Amino acid sequence: MTKQTAIPANHILDCKGLACPMPIVKTKKRIETMLPGEVLEVQATDKGSLADMQGWAKNTGHAYLGTIHDGDVLKHYLRKASPQETKTETKFPHTITSEELEQKLSANQAGTVLDVREPAEYAFNRIPGAKSIPFGELEKRWNELKPEDEIHVVCRSGNRSDLACQVLADKGFTRVKNVLPGMNGWKGPVESNE
Amino acid sequence: MSTKVAIIASNGGMFDAYKVFNIATASAATDAEVAIFFTFEGLNLIHKQANQQLSMPAGKEHMAEGFAKANVPSIPELVGMAQEMGVKMIACQMTMDVMNLQKEAFIDGIEVGGAVTFLDFAKDANISLSF
Repeated sequence: MTKQTAIPANHILDCKGLACPMPIVKTKKRIETMLPGEVLEVQATDKGSLADMQGWAKNTGHAYLGTIHDGDVLKHYLRKASPQETKTETKFPHTITSEELEQKLSANQAGTVLDVREPAEYAFNRIPGAKSIPFGELEKRWNELKPEDEIHVVCRSGNRSDLACQVLADKGFTRVKNVLPGMNGWKGPVESNE
Repeated sequence: MSTKVAIIASNGGMFDAYKVFNIATASAATDAEVAIFFTFEGLNLIHKQANQQLSMPAGKEHMAEGFAKANVPSIPELVGMAQEMGVKMIACQMTMDVMNLQKEAFIDGIEVGGAVTFLDFAKDANISLSF
């Protein structure tokens, strides 16, 4: 087995040893108690849960981030959706489309790509070379970035990155752009921890 | 609008019960609206005593071991989960009359109705299943 870096989750649900439909039933109950944006790690040994979790997420609107095989245990990562995420309302005026960023990347002119999603989202699917600072940590970590650099901020849908752009502009960053629509519409190359 | 799943349960064995309640609980957990109409032997599945000791099909009794090994929840447990998630259970009045069964013989929280009660729910269901 390859060594895996642990993927951070806000909640862990143990469904090991449980048969269908219990992993799904327990996942639903647990996610109802969580806050929007929080990440749940579901540990299951039911092999059918791999397909079930993806189907469940598709039908309930929550985000299925990915699964890690840890011996006989499947670790599924899910992010609870929030109602306002479906309608993206962005305020930051400087934007770039996912296609434009893809072109800049292939020409090596993308500057810094800043991914402000949660670590679990970043772990499974990200733009190659993107730097991870989850939005919630930006206020204390923004000084890892250079105010004079060109920075492309990306999240899943363009919502969190919009807020992140506003934070960075407040700190005196002048070359910041929000990537729209974000990883949702990203068709370029990706990398993951796997 | 959420997905609607309409299920008819007309058989009363252990396998039938798992088919019905696995689909029902999985659907409810996936935010579907679910109703089950229990008719003829299907009434066993919600009968207070009968659903504690549903029979395996003849010749398949050895599978009880497999159920235990796979850590499958018991039927009363699945019924409880289904109810907790809002699965609507309707017992068929006509069958109850034929079998001389009263509502009290069944688990709490069920409805009793005729075929139209189910049809009214099923008429715009996305998924209809019969077990």
